[in-house]
Amino acid sequence: MSRQPFTEIRAKAVPLMRPNIDTEVVIRINRLIENKQGELGRWCFEAIRYMPDGTEDPTFPPNAARYQGAEILVAGENFGCGSSREAAVWALMDYGLKCIIAPSFGDIFVANCFQNGLLPISLAANEIKAIATELETEEPILSVNLETQHIITRSDRVIAFTISPEARRGLLLGLDEIGMTLEHESQIIAAEATEEKKHPWMFPKMSAAAPTKLLILPGDGIGPEIMAEVRKVALWFAEKRGMEFELHEELFGMAAWHAHGDLMRPETWAQIEAADAILFGAIGSPDYEKIPPASRQKDHLLQMRKEFDLYTNLRPVKLFNALISASTLKPEVVNGCDMVIVRELTGGLYFGEPRGVTTLADGSRRGVNTLIYTDEQVRRIARAAFELARTRRKTVCSVDKANVLETFALWREIMQSVHDAEYPDIALTHMYVDNAAMQLVRNPLQFDVIVTENLFGDILSDCAAMITGSLGMLPSSSLGPVRKDGTRKALYEPVHGSAPDIAGKGVANPLGAILSFGECLHHTFGSPQDARLLERAVAAAVGAGVRTADIALAGEKPVTTVEMGKRVLQELDLLG
Amino acid sequence: MQPVAGRTLFEKVWAEHEIMLLPGGVSLLRIDRHLIHDLEAGPGLARIERQNYRVRRPDLTFATPDHAVSSDPLRGRDSNSRGGELLREMRRRTAVAGVRLFDIGDANQGIVHVIGPELGLSLPGSTIVCGDSHTCTHGGLGALAFGIGSSEVAHVLATQTLRQIRPKTMRIQVNGALAPNVTSKDLMLFLIGRLGTAAGRGHAVEFAGSTLRTLDIEARLAWCNMSIELGAKIGMIAPDDLTYTYLRDRPFAPKGALFDRALNYWRQLPSDPDAVFDREEKFDASDVAPQVTWGVSPQDVIGINELVPDPGLVADSRTRENMRTALNYMGLEPGRPIEGTDIDWVFIGSCANGRLSDLRAAAMVARGRKVAPNVRAWIVPGSEAVRRAAVGEGLDRVFIEAGFEWRAPSCSLCLGANGEILPPKARSVSTSNRNFIGRQGPEARTHLASPAMAAAAAIQGKICDVRKFENLS
Repeated sequence: MSRQPFTEIRAKAVPLMRPNIDTEVVIRINRLIENKQGELGRWCFEAIRYMPDGTEDPTFPPNAARYQGAEILVAGENFGCGSSREAAVWALMDYGLKCIIAPSFGDIFVANCFQNGLLPISLAANEIKAIATELETEEPILSVNLETQHIITRSDRVIAFTISPEARRGLLLGLDEIGMTLEHESQIIAAEATEEKKHPWMFPKMSAAAPTKLLILPGDGIGPEIMAEVRKVALWFAEKRGMEFELHEELFGMAAWHAHGDLMRPETWAQIEAADAILFGAIGSPDYEKIPPASRQKDHLLQMRKEFDLYTNLRPVKLFNALISASTLKPEVVNGCDMVIVRELTGGLYFGEPRGVTTLADGSRRGVNTLIYTDEQVRRIARAAFELARTRRKTVCSVDKANVLETFALWREIMQSVHDAEYPDIALTHMYVDNAAMQLVRNPLQFDVIVTENLFGDILSDCAAMITGSLGMLPSSSLGPVRKDGTRKALYEPVHGSAPDIAGKGVANPLGAILSFGECLHHTFGSPQDARLLERAVAAAVGAGVRTADIALAGEKPVTTVEMGKRVLQELDLLG
Repeated sequence: MQPVAGRTLFEKVWAEHEIMLLPGGVSLLRIDRHLIHDLEAGPGLARIERQNYRVRRPDLTFATPDHAVSSDPLRGRDSNSRGGELLREMRRRTAVAGVRLFDIGDANQGIVHVIGPELGLSLPGSTIVCGDSHTCTHGGLGALAFGIGSSEVAHVLATQTLRQIRPKTMRIQVNGALAPNVTSKDLMLFLIGRLGTAAGRGHAVEFAGSTLRTLDIEARLAWCNMSIELGAKIGMIAPDDLTYTYLRDRPFAPKGALFDRALNYWRQLPSDPDAVFDREEKFDASDVAPQVTWGVSPQDVIGINELVPDPGLVADSRTRENMRTALNYMGLEPGRPIEGTDIDWVFIGSCANGRLSDLRAAAMVARGRKVAPNVRAWIVPGSEAVRRAAVGEGLDRVFIEAGFEWRAPSCSLCLGANGEILPPKARSVSTSNRNFIGRQGPEARTHLASPAMAAAAAIQGKICDVRKFENLS
C-alpha cells in the first residue's frame, strides 16, 4: 500500500524517558479487538497515561499542557520491545506521533515503523538526554529532516542521525513493498523451484481432497416435498456415477422454529459454513408473523449471500420443447430459447449505503437507496459472465443504464476493458435495460449470456422466466469466489417460492429443484456432462407427457411430486 | 588456498533462504512456513485482497485460532462474542484462499507455537514466520523462526518472502546440569535477568552448551520461546538426535525415504566448530535456583530464595525510580523475601509452558494436594493434542481433584485477548512469558515462574519453593 511520504517535520516534541516501554504499554490487546486502526489514539499508553479513575495522570509528560500536539516522542532505551503487534505503531500514529527518537528500539517494532511511515531514530543515550533536558527547559520544538538526516533543536543544535538507505528510500517515497518485491517474481519462482528439488520435504502434501459436503435445507412450504426428490436424484449420482459427497440435512425456516424454537441454531449455521454446496428448497410462510419479531429479524438467505460472498447469481432460462405451449409467447418467438442471466448478487442498489427513510425538517419524508459498484466488483462479475460464455455460445450482452447513471458508465467501461484485455474471443454487446426488457419478449433467441446489476437482474430474470411458461422448471445458482481447489462455495435453489397454498399436498413440481442439483453437478462437481445427463432425463420425462399440475396441459392428468421424481430416476437409468 | 571460514547454524539457514540481496543490504528471504492466528489472519487476508494480491502459497500457510478464543471447556464453535467476528472472518477467508485451518473443534487446534512443532510443520533448517513475537519458539527445533508485524504478514501472504536485514550473531553457551526441579524456564529467566531484555537486540541468538543437550524438545521450545524477552527475535538450538526422534512420525514431517534424506541435510546444520559469532556469552547452569519475577519486565527476576531488591541501594537515579515504580505497581516491599508473598491466581499454560511435559510437572506437585482456598488456579492446555494426551494420562483428574480449573486450548490469561483477565491488583503466578504492566488485565500483578513453581504456589497460596515439597510423584 503506498502511503504518505515522509520528508521533514518541525513540531512539538515530548520526552518520555522511562526505558523498556513495551508494546503492551503502548496499546493493550483488548483495545485492538474493540477498535480499528485510526481509532487507537485515545488508548495509546493507556497503562501509564491515566489514573485508575480514568482521568489523565499529570505525571505522564505527554499529558502536560506544554507538550500538547506533540508529533515527536523522545524516549528511553529499548522502546517498543515485547510483542510483534503492529498496532503499537498505529496507536502511536493515531496519537499524533510521526517520529520517535530513542537510544534503541525493539527489532520487530522498528520494522513495523518503516511499514507504516513512522520514523524511528536511534541516537546515543547522552545525546537523547541532552535533547530531553532541552525540551524540558526550552520551548519543546524539534525539526527532523529525513532527506538530510538531521535533527535541529530549538537552540539550533544540529544532530546527524543514520538510517538504513532502503528504509529511508521507502519512507521518502512512501513505497508499496509487496509490489516492489513482486518485481522480482522470476527470482522467487526460480528459488522455489530449486528448493522443491533440493528439499522436497519442506512442501507438505495436503491430505487427499475431502469429499464434497452437500447440505440440504428443505425450508418452508413445498420445500420438504421437492427436496426429498432431489435427495433421491443426488443418491442416484453417488451410486451410479461415483460422485463422492457427504450429504447432510438441516431444518430451516418454520420447521427449525417448530423443532428448536430458533430459526438458526449455531449447529445449523456451522453446517452451512462447512458445506461446499447448499441445496436449498424454499423460504416463505404466513406463519412467520407468529414468531416474535426479535426472533425473526435476520434474513438468513441474505446472510448466506453476504457471509459467503455469493456474488454470482446464475439464472438459466431454457425452454423444454415439450412445454413450448406453456409459454404465453408465440412458439416461433421462444422455440430454442437457451440463455443464462448472470446477476450480480452482493452489490448494487440492494446493498448500497446510505439507505432508509428519514423525516426532513419540514415534516416531509424522504427515502434513499444508493447504487454503488467498485471497479473490482464489476470486474469479477464480468469475468464470471465471460467464463460462462466460453462454455456456451461465446456471446455476452451486458445490460446497464449508462446513458443516465454514472455508476453504469463505469460498469460499461470496466466490462469493455475486461473483455478487451482478457476475453477478446467473446462477442460483447451492451444494451440499456429498458431495451433489454423489450428484447427479452420480442426476440429472446438473440441472447446467450446476459450480465447485469442486482436489481436489474432480479427484474429481468423474472421476465425471462415467463418465456418458458413455468417458473416451476427453473433452477438457479449463487456462487462465491473461486477457491484454491477450483471450486466455489455455492447455493442452489429453484426459482419458484414456497407455494404455501399447495404445500403438503404432494403435487408440487420438483423439476426446478432437480435441475438446480444439475447446476450443482456442473459448478460444484465440475461435471457439465452429468449436468447435461440430468437435463436430458428431465426433458425425456416431460417429453413423455409426465407433468405436475403446474405444467399440465388441459386434459392431461397431473402426476404427484413423488411420481415425477420417480420418472426422472427411470429416465436416468435408461440414459446413464 | 584460503581456508573456508566455518558458518553458524543461523548463517547456513539464512544463506539457504536468501533469494537475492536488495539495495541497502536488505535480503529477500524465502519463507517455508507462515503460521497465522485469529488476530492476524482475517485482517491480513482482507488487506492483500484490497490490494489485489493473492495468497501466493496457501500450501505453506497454516492457520489456527488461539489469541481471542475462549478457554471455556464448554465453548461453542464461535468461542465467544469478542473473538467471534475475527474467527468467522478467519474461517471465511482461509477457506476462500485454500489455507489449511485448524479450527475450534478440530483435533489439532491450539496455540500456534504449540501446534507447529507438534504437527511436524516446524522443521530444522526451515524459515518460519508468524504475526506473533513468540515465533522464536520454533527455534528449539533448529528452525530460523521469528515474529513479524501485520504489514509483513501481508507481505508474506502475497509473496511468500520477507525483506530482512541480516542480524548479527550471538552465542550463549550454558554448561552444567540443572538442579532437580529447576527447568529451562528458570534458566531462561535467569539469563534474561543477567543479560537484560535488550541484550539480544539486532542479534540472532544460538543457545549452545551441554545443558540443553540433556533437555527434551519441549523444554528447548520453552527455552527459545523467551528469546524475544532477551531482545532477540530469533533464538535457535542446533538439532540433534532428540530433535529427529521428536519429529519422526509427526503428521506433516517427512516420511520414509524422504525423512532419511531430510535427516542427512539436518545433520549438516549445526554450527561448524570454527564458526565465529559477533558476540559470545557463557553461563553455568548448575547454581541456578527456581526463578520468579518481582517487577514488570522479565529481567526483574530473582531466585526464589532471594530478597525483593531495594531501590535504595541503587546508585543510578533513573534505575532507582523505575524500580520504585515497578515495586509500587507490584505492591511489594523492598528487602523482604519474595517467598511467602500471598497470591490470588495461578495460570499454567501459554506458548511458553502449555505443553504436556509442563502439565506433567505441575501435576506432580498437585497430585494428592489441594489448591489453597484463597486461590483460583487455571490449567489451560496449549493445544487439543496436549489436552487429549493429558486426559489420556489422567492429569485432568489430578488437577480437578486438587481444585484446579481444567480449560480448553487458548492463549487465555497470558494476555487476556479473549477477555479472560485478572481483577485489578490480583496477584498471579503465571507460566507465561511476560509480566508487563496490565498484560493480564489492568493493574494485575504477574509473577513469572515455571509450571512446578506455579502449581506449588497454587497449593500454598503463596509464592514458595517447590524444592521444599516432599513426595513429588
